[in-house]
Amino acid sequence: MTRNTEHVSEFQLALRSFKKNRLAVCCAMILFIFYAGAIFADFLSPYSYRNEDRNYSYCPPTPVRFFDEGKWVGPYIYGQTLTFNEFYRRVYQTDTTRRFPVRLFVQGDEYKLLGLIPSRLHLVGVQEGARLYLIGADSRGRDLWSRILYGAQISLSIGLIGVLISFSIGLIVGGVAGFYGGWIDNVLMRLCEMVMMVPGFYLLLALRAAVPDDFNSVQIYFAIVVILSFIGWAGLARIIRGMCLSLREREYVLAAKSLGLSDFKIILRHILPHTVSYSIAAVMLSIPGYILGESALSLIGLGIQDPYASWGNLLSDNMSIVRIKFAPWILWPGVFIFLTVISFNIIGDTLRDCLDPMMKAERK
Amino acid sequence: MGRYILKRLLVAIPMVLGMTLLTFILMQITPGNFLDTIRMDPQVSEETIGHYQKMYQLDKPMFQQYIHWVYNLFHLEFGYSFYFNIPVAKVIAGRLFNTFVLSLASFLFTWMIAIPLGIWAALHRNRWIDRCIQFFSFICLSLPSFLLALVFLFLASQTNFLPLGGMHGPDFENMNFFVRSMDFLKHLIIPTLALSIGSIAALQKIMRGNMLDVLSQQYILAARAKGLPEDRVIYWHALRNAINPLVTLLGYEFSGLLSGAALIEIICSWPGLGSLMLTAVRSKDIYLVMANMLMGGVLFIIGNLLADVLLAKLDPRIRYDKKH
Amino acid sequence: MNPKRIPNQPLLKILQIPNSFWGSLFCKNIIGFFILFLSWAAFLPLSTAENTHPFRYGGKLVLTTTSDPKSFNEIIAKEVSTSEITAYLFEGLTRVNAVDLKVEPHLARSWKISPDGLTWIFHLRRDVKWFDGFQFNADDVVFTFNELIYNLNIPTSSRDIFTINGQTPKVEKIDDFTVKFTLQSKFAPFLWVMSQPILPKHKLEKTVTERKFNFTWGIDTDPREIIGTGPYKLAKYVPGQQIILERNPLYWRKSVDGDQLPYINKIIYLIVQSADVELLKFLEGSIDYYVLRGMDFSLLKPLEKNDDFTIYDMGPSSSSNFITFNLNPGINPKTNKPFVDPIKLSWFSKLEFRQAVAHVIDKQKIIEIVKNKLGYPQSSAMTEGAGFFNNTNVVQYDYDLTKAKELLQKAGFIDRNQDGILEDSQGHDIEFNLYTNADNTERVDIAAIIRHDLEKLGMKINFQPLEFNILVSKLNSTFEWEAIVLGLTGGVEPHFGRNVWASTGQLHLWYPKQTTPATSWEKRLDEIFDLGVQELDENKRKVFYDEFQAIVAEKLPLIYTVLSAKLSAVRNKFENLNPTNFGGVFHNLEEIYIKKEYR
Repeated sequence: MTRNTEHVSEFQLALRSFKKNRLAVCCAMILFIFYAGAIFADFLSPYSYRNEDRNYSYCPPTPVRFFDEGKWVGPYIYGQTLTFNEFYRRVYQTDTTRRFPVRLFVQGDEYKLLGLIPSRLHLVGVQEGARLYLIGADSRGRDLWSRILYGAQISLSIGLIGVLISFSIGLIVGGVAGFYGGWIDNVLMRLCEMVMMVPGFYLLLALRAAVPDDFNSVQIYFAIVVILSFIGWAGLARIIRGMCLSLREREYVLAAKSLGLSDFKIILRHILPHTVSYSIAAVMLSIPGYILGESALSLIGLGIQDPYASWGNLLSDNMSIVRIKFAPWILWPGVFIFLTVISFNIIGDTLRDCLDPMMKAERK
Repeated sequence: MGRYILKRLLVAIPMVLGMTLLTFILMQITPGNFLDTIRMDPQVSEETIGHYQKMYQLDKPMFQQYIHWVYNLFHLEFGYSFYFNIPVAKVIAGRLFNTFVLSLASFLFTWMIAIPLGIWAALHRNRWIDRCIQFFSFICLSLPSFLLALVFLFLASQTNFLPLGGMHGPDFENMNFFVRSMDFLKHLIIPTLALSIGSIAALQKIMRGNMLDVLSQQYILAARAKGLPEDRVIYWHALRNAINPLVTLLGYEFSGLLSGAALIEIICSWPGLGSLMLTAVRSKDIYLVMANMLMGGVLFIIGNLLADVLLAKLDPRIRYDKKH
Repeated sequence: MNPKRIPNQPLLKILQIPNSFWGSLFCKNIIGFFILFLSWAAFLPLSTAENTHPFRYGGKLVLTTTSDPKSFNEIIAKEVSTSEITAYLFEGLTRVNAVDLKVEPHLARSWKISPDGLTWIFHLRRDVKWFDGFQFNADDVVFTFNELIYNLNIPTSSRDIFTINGQTPKVEKIDDFTVKFTLQSKFAPFLWVMSQPILPKHKLEKTVTERKFNFTWGIDTDPREIIGTGPYKLAKYVPGQQIILERNPLYWRKSVDGDQLPYINKIIYLIVQSADVELLKFLEGSIDYYVLRGMDFSLLKPLEKNDDFTIYDMGPSSSSNFITFNLNPGINPKTNKPFVDPIKLSWFSKLEFRQAVAHVIDKQKIIEIVKNKLGYPQSSAMTEGAGFFNNTNVVQYDYDLTKAKELLQKAGFIDRNQDGILEDSQGHDIEFNLYTNADNTERVDIAAIIRHDLEKLGMKINFQPLEFNILVSKLNSTFEWEAIVLGLTGGVEPHFGRNVWASTGQLHLWYPKQTTPATSWEKRLDEIFDLGVQELDENKRKVFYDEFQAIVAEKLPLIYTVLSAKLSAVRNKFENLNPTNFGGVFHNLEEIYIKKEYR
């Protein structure tokens, strides 16, 4: 019992030293904002992710104006029409006679907030007749900002769910192998090595091919998450196993054994908790892998499918120098991926440093 | 030691075979096969498909095909590539060198930059230079390498300083040895950079961590207390111990030496094994995939073994043979 | 770079008279006079030169290709990356003129057809040499057919092309330079298929008797071993990097004014997998030719003048994109389940349903969005590029959602329970799977646009792009699919689409390999294809194939969408270019030469 409280205080110590690192705290804030944005995407986005208007293909960011002839009139935008110039380049003509005020809390596309509360309320929007593109439109005139917010739901959750699955497998396999040792350890470790031998990208492709093709979008999403997590578990299992090998010789484990606790309980209650400090850092550092893995799948057209948005498919949709030249805003999803990945990396790294004294204490 | 190595190698054989069997089953049970591309040609009849099937022995039961493959393996025959119509070994041999050169270049570049950088950062811990390095490392770690390659190529096209992909200039046949080598090196720069930047950042962090670990150890304090010159303490006592844990990593790098990097290769038109494998996996050129998996598996085993043996040589505390 | 004027440019201009012009006797005399004049003129200053235009020779053409050739064995490997290269090496008895789409003599000098249309006698050229100096003769032709194409141990689609009503033409040698083909039934595109490349007997005979032919001339072969008669021979192949072709000095063709062809010394193919890098390379100037995607046009067109290249627009391409529904009523023998849910099959079988879908395809916007406004709507099964056989007078379906709704309503698809999704008369929600191949991003975009509009009509669609071979195995072996967006490359000769349109064909996508035609219109299609191939009068043939296109447009087994524009950018270093829709930019490569100042 006393050990447990001591454990918590150690954790608090680590948290305190984490808070001292301004960069890491900043990253945590970024992630917090991103996740909040993902949760309230329906409300924060002006349009639904599938609301398209083909007359606004690759429409550049709409300039929001506040003044009319030097007078404050509140935010408004002008109507725009698409024309093609002699080089077949898209040119949007601004029509200054049609003016549309930008309003807060407007009624728009229907949605269910948090999947429960039906609503039509959107944070910002304009009335029918013009479209508000805060950072630009995609090829079919869908609002990129809205799609990034909806994409966050998928991209950010893929990491969390994926990590949950692969760590569960990794912890259990590693824990069992390390606790029992002997032939079980041998078989499990050889299995891990077999999985590690296959380069992840090809394994990803091969497994993707095995996904039944009458899946609907939600099922595909989960299939992709499971595939991605299948690749990460082996490495983790090996490390956890190494830690367990030394933990199982500890007095308290031996004590628990002599008390007649079942093996499963010992692994779950007395061994795995001591690998937590390592695991937390490792989780943070491995989440980016899932986000990037989904992007890689999207890059060859096998990731999350249209009309659903993920940061990966938003980015890869347009992965070409010509498109980037004419519509540079399509790189925004890349910026979000980058910020998320770097935040997870910095937080993971800082956490590892902070938890390090704890881990050393464990090893003693 | 010899017994230990032998034992490890013996265990490895069923492992590698098991891995190839899993790969084989996965390739076979997933829908689609190589001949599907031919099937879409309006001018090809059913009988012709049958003939192709026979030629590639795709008409036999799955496990018979696998056993046949393993049997041939012991005669050093790795099967036939459907896609290229020649033995798999020849397809791979044609690209082995290219992949090896690129991997080696990025490996050397990474280690030569990252190790000194890590040491330097550790010695200037928490000063602004260290902070800068760490921050940039995070940025480099978070940039996907294929994006980097694309950016580099774009820059190269603007400046005309470096060639845009490929391994040689168009006229390389008529070049003398020196010019040819220079040409080759120039072509190597962009893919090497794209591949290395992320790994430099990662390795640098590990090296810095190791170095800091070692510097806080008792024996370093003792050495300093004894009045040894600081340089000697750092570069003789500390460095040696800080590098030791990297040996495991070295083994891992070894196993990846021939696996190639598909996306970079595609973007840089580098004719390596990575992009070859990507098409092979996607078009279900089974034996080409199998041969590559086999090669990767063998290298993985050797790499890990090498690392363990090296570690034992470097670190006297580690012993594998209990009898000694 | 300002091109300097070549002194005798005006003369060259006169000589570039369109091909059809050569026909008249009067012109021939004039040309003859020119040739005489030129050869005489050439002999004066340069007494050793054989050719009238020595300054046209030399230089190289640098092209790109996206993937390695799979083989140099023309008989075994047929896909694009291979035939792109082998087309330079091997030649057939006839070839198709890329300008007027007529068959013209090639290795055969002339031919005669018997009045019953069954016996063809080909007289071969006597001046054709293989790369190794051996004389090309009738033995090679007979060998290519009897020993290679008809050889059952060799898998080749060439055999399928020559199988007419289950039988192959008999090939006999009359004398060293005469070959007789005896057909069992009339075959309209016979001259067309005679463009089948001829391979050397003296080189390959042994491999056939030793049963090694299937593995001969693979990509690991020494380039000097690969022997053809074409204008270029293989000089070097570096896997994954480049393919170098070299001028064949023994080539038989001469230009109208007596120049030994071809002019260009070397063709270099760089293997570049990424389209972006290809574009960068073109802009940098290291390649001579670039095939534009729609969006590239806005980038390249403004640079045309400054960067010294020209963009050629060759009209609509012949690769179609269409959506099709599974109409296969069969039952999977393994699982004893129908390939398509009978409920769904009943929807797809309704003509109104397919017509509604046809009205949902927003071709104009698809062209704008996917092709950057550089595309053409397609409504007929033979594309405009097919020229003569293209029937423009077929039913058109314009983008009209209200009309589509009406059609659906008429067929009994109404949203009965007000949930936003249509139901059929039994109350089943209209929901189906839509597949396409993931590697073709434009097609995925097209499918996504169609899907969006179908959902607007109140259908529920599960859209999944799949790996190409998975998709194909669904089409060809498991038959378990509901709707697919796919493409097929069309051609000029309608009969070559028989495998798609005849109800027995295995590419009769919506219901392949039928024993008896399932519908009356499919029966009529079968008849048309059987009659059309027997009809040797072109104009009468056209009537048949016009009807076929009208039927397809009316019954909509395939619902066509859009075609992309064939656009290529070519550096301004070539003279004698004559890009055509059928042949592209370099169809007359032998006659093309590089301007002096670019060499």
